[in-house]
Amino acid sequence: MDVLIAAFKLVADPYVLFLILAASAYGLFVGAVPGLTAAMAIALLVPVTFFMPPVPALAVIVTTAAMAIFAGDIPGALLRIPGTPASAAYADEAYAMTKKGEGEVALGAGVVFSVIGGIFGTIVLVTAAPALAEVALNFSSFEYFWLVCLGLTCGVFIARGSQLKSVLSLLLGLFVATIGMENPAAFPRLSFGSIELQAGIDMIPAMVGMFAIAEILRVVSQSSIGLPPAYRPGRGIFAGQWTLVKKYPKQWLRGSAIGTLVGALPGAGCDIAAWMAYGSSKRFSKEREKFGTGHVEGIVEAGAANNASVSGDWIPALVFGIPGDSITAIVIGVLYLKNLNPGPMIFQQQPELVTAVFMVFFLANLLLLPFGWLAIKWSVHILRVPRPILMPIIMMFCIVGAFAITNSAFAVGIMLAFGIAGFLMEENGFPVAPAILGIVLGPMLENNFFSCMLKTDGAILGFFQRPIAGGLGIATLAVWGAILWYTLRHDTRNPRPA
Amino acid sequence: MRISDFAAGCAFALFGLALLGYGYFLPPMPGQRYGAGLFPMLLGASFFVCGALMAWRAETRSPAVTVAPWVTDRKLAGNFAWVLASIIVYVVLDERIGFIPLSLVLLVALFWRLGVPLVKSIVIAALSTTFLYIAFARFLRVPLPRGLLEGIVW
Repeated sequence: MDVLIAAFKLVADPYVLFLILAASAYGLFVGAVPGLTAAMAIALLVPVTFFMPPVPALAVIVTTAAMAIFAGDIPGALLRIPGTPASAAYADEAYAMTKKGEGEVALGAGVVFSVIGGIFGTIVLVTAAPALAEVALNFSSFEYFWLVCLGLTCGVFIARGSQLKSVLSLLLGLFVATIGMENPAAFPRLSFGSIELQAGIDMIPAMVGMFAIAEILRVVSQSSIGLPPAYRPGRGIFAGQWTLVKKYPKQWLRGSAIGTLVGALPGAGCDIAAWMAYGSSKRFSKEREKFGTGHVEGIVEAGAANNASVSGDWIPALVFGIPGDSITAIVIGVLYLKNLNPGPMIFQQQPELVTAVFMVFFLANLLLLPFGWLAIKWSVHILRVPRPILMPIIMMFCIVGAFAITNSAFAVGIMLAFGIAGFLMEENGFPVAPAILGIVLGPMLENNFFSCMLKTDGAILGFFQRPIAGGLGIATLAVWGAILWYTLRHDTRNPRPA
Repeated sequence: MRISDFAAGCAFALFGLALLGYGYFLPPMPGQRYGAGLFPMLLGASFFVCGALMAWRAETRSPAVTVAPWVTDRKLAGNFAWVLASIIVYVVLDERIGFIPLSLVLLVALFWRLGVPLVKSIVIAALSTTFLYIAFARFLRVPLPRGLLEGIVW
């Protein structure tokens, strides 16, 4: 009890509360700008946290991450331009809802299920962190390899239309991921002597190009350029959300669980959690045919997953000092700077501090409700701006966002190339989302495969010899078999045109 | 521009073959069974199989390339080219000219192209550029190139 009171006093300090409010506004802004990620927002905060005591420093980081991950949903739903990679999985779905006049429901679901996911992840963090961290640390390259394979399979599931085109889009993403020296042999593949290409192609300019630039090109080449998409203000973003909570309990529970577990795995973050949750939502949905046409179910599950993973990321970080993703890698650095060594002893040595951080997690997630409401209320005005004015401004935002990744115009060129590719792909019925997933997961797939091969001296059976890896491997192969069977059966029923 | 599934499938299959060949000739990793060429080869084979399957299942009688209506509309094709040209100009000139003048010129030109009145274009371009510069260069510490304004802007 004393610990709780001490922790409460630390959090209730007006200075901490003021910083939490300021971090909320900052996180919402950075998250909503395409090209700027939650990790980048937190990296920029590090010099500021030098001058703060530990609790305010960590409060600022926790709040910024939670807000930025949610804020990525706003431009995704309004403009089909995800603000962060964590929102890319369901940007199409949310935008389709906005076009149908259900933008408020999509954005409301984004806020409400982000809060639910965030709180679920925090409860797991508080109650089961050491046990879960133990499990997560038992994951070796074999388990990761199969998890990545399952993640890639989601890319094919989530796409609408031809599965063959989804697979080809995924292959294009994996191909892009092979460019550069980021491979186990460190051989400069497909770089054609370019120093920049040797460093590989960053996912952010590619994502901004494929979503934002492709969308700008689509809008300016339409004769109805001046017409904004329909956004019908209705009864407010929270109206009907309770019905969704009751209608989709399995979905938000599964999304929150996937998010927390994926977050707890070192190396996998919010974006992968969102893709996997969206894929599982579609896979187990009773209304699978509605996905891609503006159906809220996938947003419920993936929206919960990406915010749950923000809390899940902290599990290995706090318990073992092993970062769950790039955000917690920065957090660990900040903890060391404050003379707080993350590890099992932190729970004994600094219980009030750890409890205060947990309280901040709850507070930041609850603050998402009013701040999310405010951010959406202001953001919908974007749709009132005539598109001949809005599109060039978004283009400049994208240019600066892509530039910020490498601080060079090369990333802007990459963004343009992917913008043209994304435009052509969509024109020809190739979904772009699987390509982005391929770019994200490609390096993980290859690196884990090579680690496994080194461990087993090239024996493929090694992928099935550990219990969890074997289970995951069989599950993955079963899913692949089911897809193949479905495709072949579909093919026999709908024979090719003569 | 719509490319027929048959043409696209053939292109993917050919691309797969090229990638397969590229991967095959990459040097192996010393002492290892697999090297840097394994993934390009696997991807190449997958591209070939999927591309061939797509071409096999496709309607062969449709034209290889169908030009979308906007391509023949001078105004819409011009808008499209204008956006592409703006980004290319930024990539080529950002170091020499700098972010502020380039952003101003590109925004005014694009606004004007899309039918926004000139005075309104200039005002909105100035406001947007100022906001972007303050938010990114000052607040988020992105080293946006100063170019012509080196030593002048804060």
